Amino acid sequence: MKRLIAIFLFVSASHVAAAAPDARVDALKTEVAARGWIVYGARSDNGTWDLFLSRPDGSARRNITNTPDFEEAAPRFSPDGSRLLFRRLEKGTTIDHDRWGFQGALVIANADGSNPVAGEDGAAPWASWSPDGKQVVCLDKQGIHVLDRETRKEVRDVMKRQGIYQQLFCSPDGRWFCGVANVGGESWTVVRMNAATGEMNTVRTFQNCTPDWFPDSERIILSSRPAGQQVNDGYGYTQLWAVDGAGGNDRLLYGEEGYHIYGGAVSPDGAYVLFSRSPQDGSGAENAGGEICILRMADTPTIAGESTELRKLHPATKDGPVLFLTQGWEPHWTYAESGGE
Amino acid sequence: MNSGAQRLMRGMAVFGCVVACVSCGGGTQTGEEAHVTTLGTVEVTAELVEIPGELIDRPMYDYAHVMKYRVLTVHRGGDVGDVIYVGHYNPLKPRDAVADARVPEVGGTVKSFRVGDVHRMALEFPIDECFMGGIINKYHEEGVSPVYWAVWTNRARRP
Repeated sequence: MKRLIAIFLFVSASHVAAAAPDARVDALKTEVAARGWIVYGARSDNGTWDLFLSRPDGSARRNITNTPDFEEAAPRFSPDGSRLLFRRLEKGTTIDHDRWGFQGALVIANADGSNPVAGEDGAAPWASWSPDGKQVVCLDKQGIHVLDRETRKEVRDVMKRQGIYQQLFCSPDGRWFCGVANVGGESWTVVRMNAATGEMNTVRTFQNCTPDWFPDSERIILSSRPAGQQVNDGYGYTQLWAVDGAGGNDRLLYGEEGYHIYGGAVSPDGAYVLFSRSPQDGSGAENAGGEICILRMADTPTIAGESTELRKLHPATKDGPVLFLTQGWEPHWTYAESGGE
Repeated sequence: MNSGAQRLMRGMAVFGCVVACVSCGGGTQTGEEAHVTTLGTVEVTAELVEIPGELIDRPMYDYAHVMKYRVLTVHRGGDVGDVIYVGHYNPLKPRDAVADARVPEVGGTVKSFRVGDVHRMALEFPIDECFMGGIINKYHEEGVSPVYWAVWTNRARRP
């Protein structure tokens, strides 16, 4: 009987501990609360994908598109935080986690979603901001295009894309592009291209995608599903990594067996990382997205959950606190106040 | 209608069926039909001699896999050489079901890719300018060029 009571007390205590709020997460939440705004796509009450703006702690959340006749996705703040660009798709269109940059129309709006101006369907694929926000950079079969934000006319000669096929982003200093490419017979290779000369180098090969820049324009954040994983029937799980733009210095930021990590975006000061986690590969874009999370960069690498295999590979994990916000897809962050009320 | 006329009608019907069947069979044998003879800039009948590596079975990811062919007949496009390298889109899918939102213009009658089979193909090149997606090219280190993009791929018999 004593043994039974002891087991009961132990189990109860464990349960209470597991359910207890993590003071470290609360501290992180307080720390990021006033640091600008985040924007992301999510399913809304009207059943379609809309864009939502909130404080990084999840407060002050509001639907800034609220269009029951369209699906909206993949928002990105301009570098000064005054505008947003995103894709608008016909109602009922399934967002494709790999093809979304080709889908629908490019919309440019104020950062609070007001005054949206939509282009033609299919035009300006994979649009992203130039450093000054006056232009957008696009990618299609012909190459890399730089368009004026207002007129959407080409402002420079088309550059050869050299095998880059999706997710093209200009570095904050304007010197580089990063993207996903076929290089050396290998697909899903993240590359860096000199925006002036077209010279290209490999950043990381084998099953990588969704690259984006750190604010220093020197490092790239990306999702990677490394080879050799035994978990998930050998398919493995996608993790968040940082790599030097010149290649090398590959560093795990976050991993969690049982979840695929995508949509990595670094805060404007480089102190935090925003991402989404989903048990489904592709970050759940085809359904309702993943869980949007925030982690301190100083707490990387962090491995969550049991993750036995991953912990063996990365014993120096810091297991930092992770702030779980809400369900969504492709989050982005600005420290500008222009996104708010 | 008298019996002679009936016999004549029956005979014409049978002849028509025979002509139709021969015509169909001929198409099947040569792979010739409207798509393969008009799409792309190159048209060949070729034997599939190698599928390097494994074809990836990941329905969430679209890709092209480059395969090696021995050219048997060139129908259009001039001298393409004896051996060509062709990238097929999502090769685990039958060609008549492979077109999708990413690549709407591909098709054909081939159900699956097997070494030794003969295909009549409408091709475009280079593949990098035709397809925006992952390309698995195990021949890259051999420096093969161009790599063709299969627009239409029909099953055919050896000429």
